[in-house]
Amino acid sequence: MSRFPSTIYQLLILLIFLASCSPLPQPPIVGAVNLNDLQPLPTPLNTEAVPLRVAIAAVISPKGTLESYSPFLSYLEAKLNRPVELIQRRTYLEVNDLIEHGEVDLAFVCTSAYVQGHDTFGMELLAAPQVDGKTTYNSLLIVPASSPAQSMEDLRGKVFAFTDPISLSGRVYPTSIVQKLGFTPEEFFARTFFTYSHDEAIRAVAGGVADGAAVDSLVYAFAVTRDPSLAEKVRIIHVSPDFGIPPVVVSPFIRPQVKAELQTLLLDMASDPAAREALASIGVERFVLIDDSAYDSVRTLVSEIPIPQTP
Amino acid sequence: MNFRKLVQWFWDFAGAVSVRTKILGIVLGFILLLGAGVTLQARYALTATLTAQLEEQSISISRDLAARAADPILLNDLLSLHDLLDETLANNPNVRYAFLVDKNGQVIAHTFGDGFPLGLLSLNSAAPDEHHHTALIQTDEGLVWDTAVPILGGKIGTARIGLSDASMQAALSTLTAQLLLTIVLVSAAGVLVAVFLTWILTRPILGLVAATQAVAKGDFTPRVPRWADDEIGDLADAFNAMTEELAHTEELRRERESLRRQLMEKVIATQEDERRRIARELHDSTSQNLTSLIVGLRMMEAQCANCASITKAADLRAVASHTLEEVHDLSMRLRPRVLDDLGLAAALERLAHEWQARYKIPVDVVIQLNERLPGEIETALYRIVQEALTNIARHAQAKSASILIEKHGDAVRAIVEDDGVGFDPSAQRGERHLGLLGMRERAELLGGTLTIESAPERGASVFIEIPLAPQPATLDLRP
Repeated sequence: MSRFPSTIYQLLILLIFLASCSPLPQPPIVGAVNLNDLQPLPTPLNTEAVPLRVAIAAVISPKGTLESYSPFLSYLEAKLNRPVELIQRRTYLEVNDLIEHGEVDLAFVCTSAYVQGHDTFGMELLAAPQVDGKTTYNSLLIVPASSPAQSMEDLRGKVFAFTDPISLSGRVYPTSIVQKLGFTPEEFFARTFFTYSHDEAIRAVAGGVADGAAVDSLVYAFAVTRDPSLAEKVRIIHVSPDFGIPPVVVSPFIRPQVKAELQTLLLDMASDPAAREALASIGVERFVLIDDSAYDSVRTLVSEIPIPQTP
Repeated sequence: MNFRKLVQWFWDFAGAVSVRTKILGIVLGFILLLGAGVTLQARYALTATLTAQLEEQSISISRDLAARAADPILLNDLLSLHDLLDETLANNPNVRYAFLVDKNGQVIAHTFGDGFPLGLLSLNSAAPDEHHHTALIQTDEGLVWDTAVPILGGKIGTARIGLSDASMQAALSTLTAQLLLTIVLVSAAGVLVAVFLTWILTRPILGLVAATQAVAKGDFTPRVPRWADDEIGDLADAFNAMTEELAHTEELRRERESLRRQLMEKVIATQEDERRRIARELHDSTSQNLTSLIVGLRMMEAQCANCASITKAADLRAVASHTLEEVHDLSMRLRPRVLDDLGLAAALERLAHEWQARYKIPVDVVIQLNERLPGEIETALYRIVQEALTNIARHAQAKSASILIEKHGDAVRAIVEDDGVGFDPSAQRGERHLGLLGMRERAELLGGTLTIESAPERGASVFIEIPLAPQPATLDLRP
């Protein structure tokens, strides 16, 4: 009898032992690491070649920009035989800042951003894309397909989507229309908001989030090409006069040889079969030279509309 | 061999414990085995489920992070990235860490604070075309499920999430603890049930044991109740039937014994009467005739002094005198008159005196009786002592002997001792055995006892105790 309790005890221990070491159905362990052994991250090693830094203003959303411009950047990389770094920022002004301080070499900017950059710190024109044989574009006033609005007057008291605070097609032009009607946008619309890119503005109108928006005609055409169903969801009620197309610019700090090399490269792209995909993917036929005077009409318009320095 | 040892050990163990312990062992063993099996199975199933959940969670959180991190990475919006990572960590308690790596393998943002465990970087990665890649990593805080998800097809980097299995282990521990607690509680209940079952089982068995012990002592009255309609109930019935049969047999045996005793008493009484009659006959008739013969012969001697037949008459008178002595002696041995006339003490003293004279062995006789005892007791004691002295003379080679008779309470006690060669009382056969049996028979017929103490070379003692109060002589039931 005295042996019995100790046997129960041993059985219980065996039981606990068995219960705590049942096999776990799991994949093999790939390695071990101490999560509390924290070390400073190493400073990234400088790449052997200095990359060409290309900024692209947020005309379309960052992801869309990456997808569209990847073939173009790859082409540049191959031609220049040096890495190309894509830099994006949320607003046009941020990109302008980068250009102003020489932190980017090449930039695709919006028309009004060029005008502002050129006039304030000497942003230099490199080339202009040519689309449908033209180097101009328009601002399109769009509303949802179901909307009864026929003109800007009908959008009074509605929700309006601006793209970027200094976007010509997305904010400056529609603001000028509202001002001609005798209002500020804040008075005219029930509410306004910024989408920071034109494809997002189209999406906002197509989805009914905004009752109206003004967008870049180039982006609109590009977006409709990619997603034809968009054309059924939005309706264009107004087309602006032609404006100078958003140009390709360089920083005032860039070395003249590099600028010349880049300019030649861009201008020769149309005749290079290898560049076809790169051009098609950004919806450009070719790059052409353009004179600053092409942007004078924009300059006039912009001077009438105060541009906020902070978005 | 080991197996045999094990089996031997099992039988040693199982044989050494009571039925109560066996039943307890069966119940507890069953509960513990079942509990262990259920615990193992439950842990196994829960581990499988939780592991699958953890892996799924790890994938979904990291894919969500990868999707939401794309824009801030493209826009170089580090603040948003940090907010995003912190938010991921805050909203998912299982997430131990989260970090983002750019396409060159540089860490863009992470949740480790003032440093980074560099070894972690190389432990997992995802190819650009992979949906995700999960690896199990051993850390100082336990196992971590690390999932890597390429951001925008790997064009701008990789999102990495580490899910600790601590919550899983906690859930497992809780489950195990609950199951073990359940086992303990069920065991406790099992012990109660086992005790109850044991009670049900052993109660009739213990009743049977008690009844058996009573029967062994000669008490045939107990009957075992039939508690249940099972094997033990059958056993109880069989036991009761057996007890009745035994009681019946015992009754028959008692009757026979009683008859035998009556017969024996009668035989002894008849024998004593016959001896007494013959002794009296010898004494009254034969002795008188012999005496007359002797007197006649003496007269014949005196009347014819010179008669030629004087010598012849003297010879005849001598023969007659010798015959008279022998007749006296025979009469004495058949039934000493002194026993009837003067009592046991005088008879024994005379017996001892003659025995001593004949066998030349000194006898010490101590008799402490103030009054005469009932006739049958005196006769029985006399015959027992006579037989004992005969045995001493024949077998003991004793140097001395002693006889003690005394009254002891309501009984009379007699002790006959010698210092002879002794014997083993339990190993007696033959004539001597019959003699001892006869002594005992005489004592027991009067409700007394006779005990013999002896061992080789230690002499022998015969103790006799006979109650004085009249007592039924049939209480002793030993066969």
